[in-house]
Amino acid sequence: MRLDLIKKDGVYRVQKMDSGNPCIARLMTMGLLPEQELRLTHEAPLGDPIAIEFNGCQMSLRLEDAALIEVEAL
Amino acid sequence: MKAEGALSVALIGNPNTGKTSLFNILTGLHQHVGNYAGVTVEKKTGTWNLPGGGKVNLIDLPGTYNLNAASLDERVAVDVLAGHSSDAAPPDLIIVVVDVENLRRNLYLASQASELGVPMVIALNCWDVAERKGLQIDSKLLEQRLGVPVVPTVARTRRGTGALAEAVTRALENRPMLVRPRWPEAVTDSLTDLRRELVEERGEVLREGELQRLLFDRYSAVAERLQTPTKERDTILRNAREKLHRGGYQPDAAESLLRYRFLNPLLNDILERQAAMKKRSTSESIDQLLLHRVWGLLVFVGMMYVVFQSVYTWAGPFMDLIANGVTWLGESVGNVLTTTPILQSLVVDGVIGGVGAFLIFLPQILVLFFFIALLEETGYMARAAFLMDKLFSWSGLNGKSFVPLLSSFACAIPGILATRTISDPKARCITILIAPLMSCSARLPVYLLLIGAFIEPVYGASIAGLTLFAMHFIGVFLAGPIAWLLHRTLPRSVSSQPFVMELPHYRVPQIKRIAHRLYESGSEFIVRAGTIICAMTIVIWALLYFPRPPELAESVRASASIELQEPSAAAVENRINAAYLKQSYMGRFGHTVQPIFDPAGYDWKITVGVLASFPAREIIISTLGITYALGGEVDEGSDDLRSALTKAEWESGPRAGTPVFNIPVALSIMVFFALCMQCGATIAVIAKELHWGWAIGSFIGLTALAWVAAVLTYQIGMWIPA
Repeated sequence: MRLDLIKKDGVYRVQKMDSGNPCIARLMTMGLLPEQELRLTHEAPLGDPIAIEFNGCQMSLRLEDAALIEVEAL
Repeated sequence: MKAEGALSVALIGNPNTGKTSLFNILTGLHQHVGNYAGVTVEKKTGTWNLPGGGKVNLIDLPGTYNLNAASLDERVAVDVLAGHSSDAAPPDLIIVVVDVENLRRNLYLASQASELGVPMVIALNCWDVAERKGLQIDSKLLEQRLGVPVVPTVARTRRGTGALAEAVTRALENRPMLVRPRWPEAVTDSLTDLRRELVEERGEVLREGELQRLLFDRYSAVAERLQTPTKERDTILRNAREKLHRGGYQPDAAESLLRYRFLNPLLNDILERQAAMKKRSTSESIDQLLLHRVWGLLVFVGMMYVVFQSVYTWAGPFMDLIANGVTWLGESVGNVLTTTPILQSLVVDGVIGGVGAFLIFLPQILVLFFFIALLEETGYMARAAFLMDKLFSWSGLNGKSFVPLLSSFACAIPGILATRTISDPKARCITILIAPLMSCSARLPVYLLLIGAFIEPVYGASIAGLTLFAMHFIGVFLAGPIAWLLHRTLPRSVSSQPFVMELPHYRVPQIKRIAHRLYESGSEFIVRAGTIICAMTIVIWALLYFPRPPELAESVRASASIELQEPSAAAVENRINAAYLKQSYMGRFGHTVQPIFDPAGYDWKITVGVLASFPAREIIISTLGITYALGGEVDEGSDDLRSALTKAEWESGPRAGTPVFNIPVALSIMVFFALCMQCGATIAVIAKELHWGWAIGSFIGLTALAWVAAVLTYQIGMWIPA
């Protein structure tokens, strides 16, 4: 399922991501790669952006970019 | 700064690793450190005295997550490390400052940097935090695996700096290199192609690491530096990337995948303990409240309100103290200089009156800067950007614009410089152009004077605080639509960079650092008062004092003795002063220009103040101070500017005899100052960061906007019954 559609906090694993998008490419240089586990931690007041946690760091990203990441629930 | 022939060492690291703190400790120099991702935008250098007696030139590079050279910061880092910056030679050694809690991501940067062929030492910073969290990292084992010295440090308490100095001294001798990945054939083949075509055939000067940047990064700033014609260059790069793709690697993802695949086996067992850490950090628990969709927003708005309210209430007693001091000084100096009226007027009305009126606001500036420093040091600023991002996104900006814009509330110049962290050129341009609309601290004196004189006595302190709050937000409200318009009209930038931002761990702010930042901004303010403000004050005083024909005093005295029943000496003196003021150079000029500002309700004195403050807006205070002092309204009974303003009356025209200042006029002046770009320094910085065309354009645009808004405010204000 797409990361932007998930409404519940929890642990997910990245399946696929569109590395052609500069935002995703940037996240990949920070260690968010396929097979990486992540947690959805926060949503901004209007639901966008969201905050995810992986490898001990918290990153904020917008829904339009989160839509390019496929995850599975763990 | 740079000692001749000294070795140079560059400090690199992710944002929020304490890299700048380490730099300050090692060099003894101080600089601005914040907790927001990427606050270090300029390259700073200092001399580091090694214990063995050696001296090295230490360069503090901007905090970056990688060397992909998409933003200005990253480009600066690559250029310096590869030896292409203005200092020419590449550094002799790189110290990579690594945050123990994010070892993997931090070492990715180290690994990228190692490709540039410079020896390296790793400083494992925030060691104390890691220890407290039960995170134990075997630095000796890490050192063995990586092939370079690894030194645990705690920048805050100076722990480990001695060991770091020793490691650096040794490393400058034996030049240790970080282990580098063995790249698959597809990568090495593509790199060989690039080397042959660019370096061998076209004579470009490129290191291995730079060739990698050209291959792996779609929009690499390294490409912009090449001499090869753009079209030819792009074909070469495209071919190399296609070759990589045919070899089975998606070019945009190749480096991350391969480099982490190389790093992970080196780190996995070392990091095992990290995985066992509790799932939810303290920062995250705090964020449950501060990033909550309802409570988080309420806290944010409440916090902003408290900030502006405190600026108003906390500083009061200190301001009275300064005001009394200035009055006392003026009187005592005035008594000494009674024999030379010109000198007395210059010193008392001009210098002491003008500069004093400005200095009074020091306490409030300090309170505001205290809060900005506090929010930055704790790490809340990034949360504010997170909460605000959606509000910005419709106008083409992102939450990253928030911090530069919030800094612009202190001063637009650091705000504009802070936009260098915005990687999208278009978003950066728009942010720079709207930054002057944020109400900087130089406007504060204007608001405080007028609110204190007209709003507070009528409506009380809480409405006064609210008005101050509103004045700070009027620019924000207008900035949105302006940004949207610019977003629609400006062409889209090639390498538009979306919004990815780290939410750093919260930190307990260091009193010492906040105190230091307050000291810096406070002394800057005082120096400004002593130099520019003082000089401008003298010029304006002269323009308001001269010409001074003696026969004018005689004629006023003559007419006063006829008109007034029993002319008191003071009343006559006031009339004479007023007459001189009116026919002074500035007075005549103000009268000529006044019709332009008449629809906004300004008399000629306010017009003079507005015109005089185009170079720097805080001059309005000293100008009004001089105008009313010279005009005789400020006498012993009413020694401050506030009461002088409340007593001012129209001298002629349809409104003669009615007070010049009422609430609509006060609001209109505040709105004008809130929106107008009355700051020469900001115009110069915009020209430097963008282009002169933009600087002039924004000056004209904002002045026009300010005038329209001021006129509307006055007209609507007069229409509403009091």
